[in-house]
Amino acid sequence: MNGFFEFFISAFLFVGLFFEVFLLLTFFDPEARRRRRTKPNGNFPTVAVIVPCYNEEHTIARTVESLLALEYPKDKLKVVLVNDGSDDTTAQAIDSYSSYANVKIIHKKNGGKYTALNAGIVATKSEFIAVLDADSFVSPEALREIMAHFDHERVGAVIAALSIWNPQSFLEKLQQAEYLLAIAFRHVLSAVNGLYVTPGTLSVFRRQVFEELGTFVLAHNSEDMEIAMRMQKAGWRIVNAPHARVYTKAPETLPKLVRQRTRWMTGLMQNGFDYRDMYGNPRYGALGMLTLPFSTFAVVGIIAVSFLTVIQTGSWLSDFIRNALAVPFSFTFHVSSFSFDWFFLPLNTVVILGALAILILFVRMCAGAILSNTKPSVGMGVVWYVPFYGLVAPVWIIRAVADVVLGIRRSWR
Amino acid sequence: MKPYFRNALLAFVIAAALFGTGFWVSNRINDLRLAELRNIQDRIGTDILSLETQFALLESLSCQNIRENSVLSSELNALAARLAYTENQLGSANEEVEALKRQYSLLEIKDYLLMQRVSEKCGLKPVFVLYFYSNQGDCKKCETAGHVLTYLRETYPQLRVYSFDYHLDLGALETLIAINKIEPRLPAFVINGKVHYEISDLESIEKILPLDKLATSTLKKSADY
Repeated sequence: MNGFFEFFISAFLFVGLFFEVFLLLTFFDPEARRRRRTKPNGNFPTVAVIVPCYNEEHTIARTVESLLALEYPKDKLKVVLVNDGSDDTTAQAIDSYSSYANVKIIHKKNGGKYTALNAGIVATKSEFIAVLDADSFVSPEALREIMAHFDHERVGAVIAALSIWNPQSFLEKLQQAEYLLAIAFRHVLSAVNGLYVTPGTLSVFRRQVFEELGTFVLAHNSEDMEIAMRMQKAGWRIVNAPHARVYTKAPETLPKLVRQRTRWMTGLMQNGFDYRDMYGNPRYGALGMLTLPFSTFAVVGIIAVSFLTVIQTGSWLSDFIRNALAVPFSFTFHVSSFSFDWFFLPLNTVVILGALAILILFVRMCAGAILSNTKPSVGMGVVWYVPFYGLVAPVWIIRAVADVVLGIRRSWR
Repeated sequence: MKPYFRNALLAFVIAAALFGTGFWVSNRINDLRLAELRNIQDRIGTDILSLETQFALLESLSCQNIRENSVLSSELNALAARLAYTENQLGSANEEVEALKRQYSLLEIKDYLLMQRVSEKCGLKPVFVLYFYSNQGDCKKCETAGHVLTYLRETYPQLRVYSFDYHLDLGALETLIAINKIEPRLPAFVINGKVHYEISDLESIEKILPLDKLATSTLKKSADY
């Protein structure tokens, strides 16, 4: 068991290291550097920002205020607030903006997020359509930064760099560290056209994309993943604007975080299955050959490593308890005076490679912080990121796999 | 060549190099561990040989002098801890580990024989425990028994525990097993010539130990000093 465990962990670490090194190398690719250097230009086409709202009474005002504060010509910007049958005070909250000339308000029966987005798309004639979740807030320059990246006619969508809004609690700081990783991750994957999601937290699309491919569909509650896969399949490029800042409210509790991630993971697996012909298909470049296969490997690998770790830990704990019960507690828990002895340092291949992988992960986290101009004040978040996600991520991954296999459908919230 | 493919190729080469380096560093550390084990064994071997020679040369060697040399047992304990750790890291099938275990077992047997003679000459009454275990998966109680013995050894300094892997391919060990008529029912304990089988809990092991002797011995030792 020990040998098999070590072999499996080593293989998993090797693939993980390979992908981390690939990301680091691509970070310095000319295309990535060009994207980092791209500055807002004077090109301001018409944009409609659609905000689907369902029971967002606590955050919608801040979201709308941030949109109204965008540094973008007011006559070129339309804010479309779509109330998707909320049963709280969201309707009143958005109605309070009805006097604004560039704000359009739509009330409709509840039909799900994708129906709200589609209602917004058909209600406008703008050249570009932006989508923004009602619990996310844009920085004033975000839209100008994004529009500068539509520098080729096949760039069909540009996504922003997302951070956690005002991280205070331990859990929020942990998520901030994770989002820093994601900023660098998306920026790098964008350079090789390997993105497979256009997040609801500010993505801007050419209208032509919807005219050519159709609008959003239910897509297992992950319409942002499905539209991205559909675009990639049709040969559209998805690009990341690394300096376009957007902030979102993080789940405040662990159960909420697990629920959110289970939904994401379920969406990834189900949409991945729907678009399975793209996996390992060289026609789709880095997306088909690297990103999608690696995402599957990560899911399978994390489940397997967690399973093996639980078995190993269980066996170790059972031995420890059996031995501890065999002698007086005072002997088992006796702390002898510490004396350093290099002989007993647990330095083996797995530990050394694991430390290296974590080091590269932190380099990527720092790259994300620099890219997004976020103060690296994530403190404990950075330190605790690996152990926390190492323990908790398997929970939502296994839960998502179980949902997919057993056909369990969970509600959005 | 597409940029992503070039980067992937380069990343594979770098990852392989990093993996190889990690593997090499790990092997180097293990080599250093094995070298240290060999070094300790050589030192103990020399010490035992020296003591045996002294014993042979001077039949009237002072018991005080011998007691000073009894530091050997603590060195053997330190060696045992290191050997167990290395075995855990490299696996019991590792040839180097097996060779070191053979040498260690030989040193134990030599120390056991020498200490028997010393005890006889100097009128000491230590309690010798020969403990036979297996780590081939055929002895579920062995780990607990080993843990209990560690506790007992620390509680009663006069207890001299010698641990042997029952299945180790070593002539001297096979002779020791044959002399004491030890069956493969493990864990097995030989205490002052009597064999006890398949016990691992503290209470049972304490029952087979002459604790009164150990206590007397401890008091006697204190008085001597």
